[in-house]
Amino acid sequence: MRAPSESTLRRITTFAAAFGIGVATYIAIADARGGAPVCLAGGGGCETVANSSYSHLLGINVALIGIAGYVFILVSALLRGDLARMSGFVLALAGFGFSVYLTYLELFVIDAICQWCVASAVLMTLLFGLNAVRMIVYVGRTP
Amino acid sequence: MSGKKAREERREQRQQKESEVESQERRQLLIKAGSAAVFLAIAVVAVLIVVSQNKSSGGDGANVEDTGLVSKQLAGIPQSEMTLGDPKAKVTLFEYGDLQCPVCKAFSEEVLPDVIDAKVKSGEAKVQFRNYTIISQQSVPAGAAAIAAGKQGRGWNFVELFYRNQGEEGSGYVTDEFLTGIAKGAGVPDIGQWNSDRKSKATLKEVSRTSTEAQELGFSGTPSFAVSGPGVTGKKTLGTPGTASALEEAIEEAQ
Repeated sequence: MRAPSESTLRRITTFAAAFGIGVATYIAIADARGGAPVCLAGGGGCETVANSSYSHLLGINVALIGIAGYVFILVSALLRGDLARMSGFVLALAGFGFSVYLTYLELFVIDAICQWCVASAVLMTLLFGLNAVRMIVYVGRTP
Repeated sequence: MSGKKAREERREQRQQKESEVESQERRQLLIKAGSAAVFLAIAVVAVLIVVSQNKSSGGDGANVEDTGLVSKQLAGIPQSEMTLGDPKAKVTLFEYGDLQCPVCKAFSEEVLPDVIDAKVKSGEAKVQFRNYTIISQQSVPAGAAAIAAGKQGRGWNFVELFYRNQGEEGSGYVTDEFLTGIAKGAGVPDIGQWNSDRKSKATLKEVSRTSTEAQELGFSGTPSFAVSGPGVTGKKTLGTPGTASALEEAIEEAQ
């Protein structure tokens, strides 16, 4: 199977990262206003997750860490060359790993699922896949 | 002339080959670095999961959690004794709870915040916590400690923080050390006064009085709710409504 062109991978990464910034920003704004994101399907999972002690890491809302991650991934997608390919891969890997950890917490510790967190985890997984293909196929090659 | 051209071609071919080898080596090195990063990420995630499993499961007075979250949740809402909300609010929602009760904890985290946001912050109603001690004998000093915190304007902070740090039901975690940890975390300004208040006969009598009252109202479990206001006669019992909207409707009816 032929791998997609690097420009296609970069374009999809840009869109997915921009979408991720939107999702994480919504969660962060809801927290800053003292509330919680609204779960569109109801059930109160978003409130439970947002009110749990795991929603903050060293006093920082994890959504803000998410925004920073998505912004860096987006920048790496806009740049060319091996440094951008490797940075994008490492950042998406870190984001994916963090998403795995947060999903574990939702399922087994907090016992509640927040749709917005799931949306972010799906986007991070997609970004990890895109950046992994970009790194494996195109690293070491001329842009 | 042709010899020189052939030499140049051979040199170009050699340079191209060297460049390809160099590029291939660089590529392999970077892919190795990427693989190492994957292993590192797996290790970090595994460590994080193990650490979160070892995290306190509640009932630890030396490591009280969520103090910031609770103070943020209650910020700006007036408190007096065990009442949260505008003292002039015409409707009062009574919560009969046991601080050791896990269902009360779930209610406090999942249902009451919506009611507080919709009805208490707007000044339509106030909520009063009343002890209904049913879990174990330790629920009595726990309830008395909450009332004592209420005397210093931190009653709801104490109740909410207690729920957030609740230990395993009936495991004997409600020690003086635990209660002091909660009181400090709740921001009770005078711990000495709080200590004397929580042990006073009047406070312990109050815990017993509200528990008897809950029984007289016909409640058999916690949390149980009642509402009073211009729209109802005396206290209307609500039992344990499963949703915030049911409590909000009851408040509207009592207006």
